[in-house]
Amino acid sequence: MLDRFKTICSIDGTSGDESAVRDYIRSNITADEVTVDNLGNLIVFKKGKKTPENKIMLAAHMDEVGFMVTDVTEDGFLRFGAVGGVDPRVVIGRAVRFKNSTIGVVGTKATHQLSADERKKAPDFTEMYIDIGASTRAEAEKLVSRGDTACFDSDFFSFGDGFIKGKAIDDRAGCLIMMDMINSELEYDMWFAFTVQEEVGTRGAKAASFTVAPDIALVLETTTACDIAGVGGDKRVCQLGKGCVVSYMDRSTVYDRELYKLAFETAEKLGVPVQTKTVVAGGNDSGAIHVSRSGVRTCALSVPCRYLHSPSCVIKQSDYEATKALAAAMANACAVL
Amino acid sequence: MDITSMLRLLTEKTGVSGDEFSASRAAAQLLSEYASEVEVDVFGNVTGFVRSGSKNVRTLMLDAHIDQIGMIVTYIDDSGFIKVGACGGLDMRTMLAQSVTIHGKQEISGVVCTLPPHVSSDHSKVPEIGEISIDIGMTKEQAQQVISLGDRVTVNSWFRRVGKLVSAPSIDDRSGVCVILRALELLKERTLKYDLAVCFSAQEETGERGVKQAAFRLAPDECIAVDVSFGRTPDSEEHETALMGSGAMIGASAVLDREMTERLKALAEANDIPYTIEVMPSSTGTNADAVSISRGGVKCCTVSIPIRYMHTAVEVIDPTDIEAAARLISEYVGGDSNA
Repeated sequence: MLDRFKTICSIDGTSGDESAVRDYIRSNITADEVTVDNLGNLIVFKKGKKTPENKIMLAAHMDEVGFMVTDVTEDGFLRFGAVGGVDPRVVIGRAVRFKNSTIGVVGTKATHQLSADERKKAPDFTEMYIDIGASTRAEAEKLVSRGDTACFDSDFFSFGDGFIKGKAIDDRAGCLIMMDMINSELEYDMWFAFTVQEEVGTRGAKAASFTVAPDIALVLETTTACDIAGVGGDKRVCQLGKGCVVSYMDRSTVYDRELYKLAFETAEKLGVPVQTKTVVAGGNDSGAIHVSRSGVRTCALSVPCRYLHSPSCVIKQSDYEATKALAAAMANACAVL
Repeated sequence: MDITSMLRLLTEKTGVSGDEFSASRAAAQLLSEYASEVEVDVFGNVTGFVRSGSKNVRTLMLDAHIDQIGMIVTYIDDSGFIKVGACGGLDMRTMLAQSVTIHGKQEISGVVCTLPPHVSSDHSKVPEIGEISIDIGMTKEQAQQVISLGDRVTVNSWFRRVGKLVSAPSIDDRSGVCVILRALELLKERTLKYDLAVCFSAQEETGERGVKQAAFRLAPDECIAVDVSFGRTPDSEEHETALMGSGAMIGASAVLDREMTERLKALAEANDIPYTIEVMPSSTGTNADAVSISRGGVKCCTVSIPIRYMHTAVEVIDPTDIEAAARLISEYVGGDSNA
């Protein structure tokens, strides 16, 4: 499982530039219908033993947060902006990777060269640049152009008591769960949407849910866990090791109450750990899907993840397994709801 | 071994101040190809001698520091998160969500905690070292089995080619070690005007401490301290930085010997070695400050290499500047060809 996680997370797919992720998924699934829509969503239909009463769609997004080059300076440095919500403090001092394998590092002048006040203030994206080792604009433009995208060039490892660290676990974890479902024998016919552009406003999911037109959608995600040192009580939002996260509400969706309860009942029957969030925070493709067409009953099942949108997303394997088990069981339960 | 391979080998070792032995051993092995009496002393300093074979020559110390900045474990909290202190001047702006290694009973991977943008809004605050914690995915009991207070911590990064430049952690000052080793290679076929005492010193980043003991023991007449300095970035001052690829930076400072500075300049000119002058009015912030007042006084100068993003895990260097600095030192030391 770890090798597959490492492989899929190491593929670069900034929002709007997901083709490498899509190609990987496409070549690693066997399904009955596979289409790519105009936005780049990968829509997959897999026949099960039975055709359910409700049309079920599972969704996970292929894209990840990253960067886009906005300017190339005269002295060969790249100005850039974030694609998706990224804290600039997790970008400075890191390496990034372009699609043509050009490597850059992100920085400013050295800490020694800053005033005491400057040292206390983290630079914004407008104050940093990517250094690709070019000394002129012409030299830089041989490798990178305005509009090119880059991702974190970050390590992947397992650590501690069953934890995994890597970039883009948000939401390749959801993609992996769906790939495994597609490659397994299904009880019911299912639709799967591997969506694009989630990180820039759940845009791919809008189109995908229109096309699939499901009755019920299950969104497989990673979600904000803040169970770290110095954060207590409800502020932890959700916790690693406590199982799959089922949301009742986030910033984009008020979730279907019946499905929410069904998720907990199903988890209990399965003996799978399940939790909810203690803060109304974040959002995901549900926001687009649940208001699609005349409305779609929607449930989000998430792997709790620390340090989202950084080069170091952290999840616990047992939570991934819990989410995977609950997703399969919920899909079947929703089929006959 | 070419310069880039040597730099890669040395930057893949770790040696946070006071715990330099992994890097020290690797540097000692490389040094023993050129020098005699190579040893790693109790402080972690690597020393060795290259003798001229002539009598009545002066002893020149060639120094670069072997240690690197990092962190040190100060506390394991009840949930198993690790608190740390700084070893050297970390760039705290770069620490959140960093992937790190704790050098405990075994190498333990972890991540510096941060809150995601979904629940945080002030992204301009730079945490102080006491405010950060490391997530190692263990309970306190599990952590205590493998981590002790005082263990060193490094930020994970690796050797990368960045266009014609190279990025790695601890280029400050493993690149200086490379300069000296390369200079010794260049001197192989030449007579020496000095007896050389080579020192790859410990604990520079925590206050130029290792070199004090080494300089006392080696008792040189002169010293060239090889360290890194500031490479040009778009937001830096031209007069405080050197362009990448502009060669060796020759130091000029109140604490440096003016004749050495002038002689290095003249040698660079005479031998077409690219160089710039690095002016540091009151002090250099390098080992030269300490060595110059060792015992009864030592004539010192600095030869530096420009790097970008100093004290981050992605320091950047131009390998041609290492070559230029090595050539300059070899001209300072070398006499006739004995080939």
